[in-house]
Amino acid sequence: MTTTTIRPMNVAKGGEFQRIWSVVRLHVVNRMALFGVPLMILGFIFAVNFVIWWTLKSSLSTSDFADASEGMQYSGASTFIFVYMMVVAVQAINLTFPFAQGYSVTRRDFYLGSVLTFVMLSAAWALLISVLGEIEQATGGWYVGGSMFNAIYFGDGGFLQRLYITFLLFSFFFFVGAATAAVYVKWRTNGMLVFFGALVLVLLAAVLWITFGAHWMAVGAWFVEMGVVGVVTWTLVPTIISGIVGFFILRRATPRN
Amino acid sequence: MTTTIEVTGLTRRFGNVTALDNVSFTVEENGIYGLLGRNGAGKTTLMQLLTAQDFATDGDIRIFGQSPVENASVLQNVSFIKESQKYPDDFQVKHVLKSAPWFFKNWDADFAAELVEDFRLPVDRRIKKLSRGQLSSVGVIVGLASRAPLTFFDEPYLGLDAVARQLFYDRLIEDYAEHPRTVILSTHLIDEVSNLLEHVIVLDAGRIIIDQPAEELRGSATNLVGQRSAVEEFVKSREVLHRQSIGGIASVTVASLAADERREAQAAGIELTPISLQQLIVRKTNTTDKEFEQSA
Amino acid sequence: MDDSRPIFLQIAEQIENDIISGLLPEEGQVPSTNEFASFYRINPATAGKGVALLVDSRILYKKRGIGMFVAEGARTRIVEQRRTQFRNDYIQPLVDEADKLGITREQLADMIRKEGVE
Repeated sequence: MTTTTIRPMNVAKGGEFQRIWSVVRLHVVNRMALFGVPLMILGFIFAVNFVIWWTLKSSLSTSDFADASEGMQYSGASTFIFVYMMVVAVQAINLTFPFAQGYSVTRRDFYLGSVLTFVMLSAAWALLISVLGEIEQATGGWYVGGSMFNAIYFGDGGFLQRLYITFLLFSFFFFVGAATAAVYVKWRTNGMLVFFGALVLVLLAAVLWITFGAHWMAVGAWFVEMGVVGVVTWTLVPTIISGIVGFFILRRATPRN
Repeated sequence: MTTTIEVTGLTRRFGNVTALDNVSFTVEENGIYGLLGRNGAGKTTLMQLLTAQDFATDGDIRIFGQSPVENASVLQNVSFIKESQKYPDDFQVKHVLKSAPWFFKNWDADFAAELVEDFRLPVDRRIKKLSRGQLSSVGVIVGLASRAPLTFFDEPYLGLDAVARQLFYDRLIEDYAEHPRTVILSTHLIDEVSNLLEHVIVLDAGRIIIDQPAEELRGSATNLVGQRSAVEEFVKSREVLHRQSIGGIASVTVASLAADERREAQAAGIELTPISLQQLIVRKTNTTDKEFEQSA
Repeated sequence: MDDSRPIFLQIAEQIENDIISGLLPEEGQVPSTNEFASFYRINPATAGKGVALLVDSRILYKKRGIGMFVAEGARTRIVEQRRTQFRNDYIQPLVDEADKLGITREQLADMIRKEGVE
C-alpha cells in the first residue's frame, strides 16, 4: 500500500491562530442574536425606566426622590445582560460546538476560539456598561436622576474599577455557563443531575457549616473586608477552574443527535 | 494510487451495544464510494469516527495517512455535514454560507450561490424553520461547495423531492468531474445512486458484508423464477442468496451464471432476471424490500 | 441502463450506436468523458472506462489537449463487428430452433421475407 500524499493544490493549510480566529468569527457571525437583541432589550428597559424616573422626578418632593434614587441602585436593571451572556455561552457549547464539528474544527481549536470570544465579549460589554455608567454620572442620571448602570454591584470607585468588576463578572458568567454546558454535552441529563446535585450538596454543606459553627458573622465580616472589588476578584477562582475543567471535558465530548 | 482512508479493526461500543464490530477497509483517493446499509447498521457511527467527531473503542483510523483525532491538518480537508446536523440557535441559511469559507479553503462562493438558486433555498430563513428538504439542501450545498478532498454526504436526499434529488446527483457528477475528490455517499436509496458509485461498502449490524467495486457487483447475481421443482433442481448444487416461493412458483437468487448455464436454465423453463444493486443488498442483509426502504 | 451488464459496456455500445446512426460522424469530435458522465448520470470513471474501451479498439482516438474523435472507418468496423455478433446472437439460435421444429431453410427464408411486410 502506498503511503498517502495529498496533492498540493488540494491541501488546505491554515495557521493555528487563523483557525482559532475562524472559531471566534463563527461565534459572532450572528450579530443580531449576540448584540442586536440584548441591546434592544437594554434600550427598552432604559426607555421604560426613563419614563419612571421622569415621572418620579416630576411628582415627588426632593427628599422623597433622593430616597427613591438610592433604591434604584439595587434594581440592577442592566444585570439581565449577564444572564443573557451566560445563555450565549451555554448555546456556544451546546449548539455551536456540534456545528463546528461539522466544519471539521478540532475540539482544541474550538475551545481556544471560544475562550478568546468570551474574553473579548466580556471586555466589550464591560466597556459599554462602564461608559454608560460614566455618562449616567456625568449627566446626573440622564438629567432625571435615574440610575441604571451605577447599580451597587458594580462598585463606586470610578470608571476603571467598574470596568474591572464588570469584566470579571461577565467572564464568570461566560465560563461557568460554558463549563456547565460542557458537562451537559459530555454526559447529557445524567451529567446535569449529578452536577447540580453535587452543587446543591456543597452549598448546603457550606450553609450548615457556617450556621452550626456560628460563622455567619465571620462570613459577613469577610464580605465587608473584601469589598466589592475583593469579592469580585475571588470569582476568578471559579472562572478559571471552569475554564480549565471545561477544556478537558470538551476534549472528550461527542456531539450526540 | 494513494489511499485516503485506511481503517483496521475498528470497533465502537456504546455500553454493551456494539455499533461497529472489527471493521477494516480502505478508500482510494478520488472516487465516489457508497456507504450503504440499513438504519442502525453503523453508517453514521463510522462516519463520525472517520471525522473524529466520535472516539473509537478499538482499532486504527488513518485519513491521508494520519490519525484524524484532534488533527487539524487532516480535518481541514474533510467535510461532513450529517443528516442530523445541529446548528446554532437562530442561525439563518446566510450565516452558514458566510461562515463556511472560513473553514473550507477550497470553498467556492459562486458555486454555493448557484446551488442556493438551484435548490431555491431562502437564505434569510432560520435553519429551525426550514423544511426537512431545505435542511437537507443546506447540507448538500456545504458538502458540494466546500470541495473538501474528503467529503461525506449523509443521507443527503432526506425530504428532497425527485427533482431536487436529480439536481443533487447532476451537480455532484459535474463538480466531481471537474474537481475530483474522495466522496462518500451514505444512503439507503441505492437504486438512485448505484450508477454514480465506483465502489460499494455495505454495513450490516456493525460489520462490513460487501466491499467491492460497483461494476463487479452489477450482474454478480441473477434471479431465477419458475416452477418450484425446476428451479430447485437447477439450484441444487449452487449457493443460494435468497429464496422465496408462492404456491408452485419459486424465485431464487444465485450468483451470476455463465452463458451456457443461462441457456440450460432457460431450457428448463426458468426465467432469468437481473437484480439491482438494491435488491442484491436487501437479499444479503436478509430483509424485505419494504423493510429496507422504511428503515431510514 | 440495465442492471444485468456492466455500465461501461453499455456506454461503449451507446456511443457505437450513435456512430452507426451518424449522430457522431467520422473525424467528428465526441463529447468528453465528463459530459458523458453528466448526460447518463453515471460515475465519470465508469464513463472513462467505456470510452477507453473504444479507444483500445480504435473506434475513437485522442487528440492531445483537444479531445476525443471518431476514427476514420470506425463506422464500417462497428457494423462489421455487429454483423458477426448478429449471426452469433440471432441467426445461430434461430437456425438451431428452426432445425428442432423441422423448418427447412427455404421455409425459414420465406418466413423472414414475409416478416414485416404486412
